[in-house]
Amino acid sequence: MTDAPAAELTLDDAPYLDVADPAFSIRSQAVKDARAQSWFARTPYGIAVLRYDEVQKMLRHPKLRQGSHLWPQHNGVTTGKFATWWCNMLLCQEGDTHARLRRMANPAFSPKLIADLQPKFQTLANRLIDAFIDRGECDFIAEFTEPYATGVICDLLGLPFEKWRELADIAGDMGLALGVTFKEDLPKIEAAIARLFDYAEELVATRQANPTEDFIGYLVKSHQDNPDQLSRQEMLDMIVLAIFGGIDTTRNQIGLAMDMFIQNPDQWRLLGEQPDLAKAAVEEVMRTRPTTTWVTRAATEDFEFQGLKIKGGTTLHLYGQAAATDPAAMPEAERFDITIPRKPHFGFGGGTHHCLGHFIARGDMTAALALLASRMKNPRFNGEVTWLPDSGNTGAIAMPIAFDKA
Amino acid sequence: MKVHVDMSICLLHGQCVIAAPQVFSFDDEGGLVWLAEVDDSLRADVEAASDACPEQAIQLGD
Repeated sequence: MTDAPAAELTLDDAPYLDVADPAFSIRSQAVKDARAQSWFARTPYGIAVLRYDEVQKMLRHPKLRQGSHLWPQHNGVTTGKFATWWCNMLLCQEGDTHARLRRMANPAFSPKLIADLQPKFQTLANRLIDAFIDRGECDFIAEFTEPYATGVICDLLGLPFEKWRELADIAGDMGLALGVTFKEDLPKIEAAIARLFDYAEELVATRQANPTEDFIGYLVKSHQDNPDQLSRQEMLDMIVLAIFGGIDTTRNQIGLAMDMFIQNPDQWRLLGEQPDLAKAAVEEVMRTRPTTTWVTRAATEDFEFQGLKIKGGTTLHLYGQAAATDPAAMPEAERFDITIPRKPHFGFGGGTHHCLGHFIARGDMTAALALLASRMKNPRFNGEVTWLPDSGNTGAIAMPIAFDKA
Repeated sequence: MKVHVDMSICLLHGQCVIAAPQVFSFDDEGGLVWLAEVDDSLRADVEAASDACPEQAIQLGD
């Protein structure tokens, strides 16, 4: 390192990461080596940003926009309910429209609402743990993280817990739209989103008849008070986003938490003894093993960043996981320790598109980890874990574990 | 009412700028600027900004 002014950098000099290879791992030595060598790498999609300060700055860079809006088009899908919803919903909007929608949505996800939900999270977690605790083993995904993540959404929507399976299946089918087989799965995806909109319509109708102070109640009231600020369609799009965005992410993230704790049994023991550490545990898990390992941005025009010329239209992936575990960014960055104060992680993205549901996610994961660690001792793998690819969105599909009942 | 932002935890996400654009804004260098004293007519917006801040960095006083 020198103090000389940044020389002009070119993409050709940067390390290359073959992110499109199904065997590529975001946690591989290749990524760590690239990060040590350069703040950016070339990928088949564009540019990967690998270090802490650069990721933090680029998350809210004025010349970058959220980069997911072209996804359906890139897959040859330009019509249908899914493509229409995707292109109109909050995540794919920018500027004034985004600000207006976000202003309408934020109060429905405020931290005040979460305080009321905390006892429900605990009841739900205990109910699920009760079902397998005497057996000393379970499939942690099928028996805990999936029904828990979906059950939280049921609580949020005011649906009975028994609806969880149906909702999880719909979200699973819709999730196919984020995969490489998007186009062939389109009929399934379209059927799923149609069912989700039917749900949203029904939920809105019940709130219109009997106003409530829950998440949907807030949106219905916002729409009624300011129909020019939140149209009926925008309200329905937002409900569909909340259901779709809240299930897979939380399911995967709690599974990844268990993976980290199984590899660090002293930390699980500590959490069991001191459940107040659960809040910090959620942050440490999301720093070291986030389900969303990168976020996507697209350059809106040509610009220069730290000596690198970036062309308008370039796709950039901001590698939050790599950045937040960079040894150059913080001491003992690669160690998993729920007692060390850390710099903020990027597991919820950042900037104007910062995850809308993060207060709920933080609240429900905190409740779950505190109860799991106090009721289950010595968790260990009890068979083969089936993983999603270790790329942009990751997690376990099946995770057989054994444990000792506390 | 008084508005204070704890810049030691603010990460410049800009959710306050979205919630209360008359009170919070970004300057040309991308730094956050805000009115330290605001009229009560903006109370609802400022409270929404404080609620929406992902880092909970905004403190309000009377």
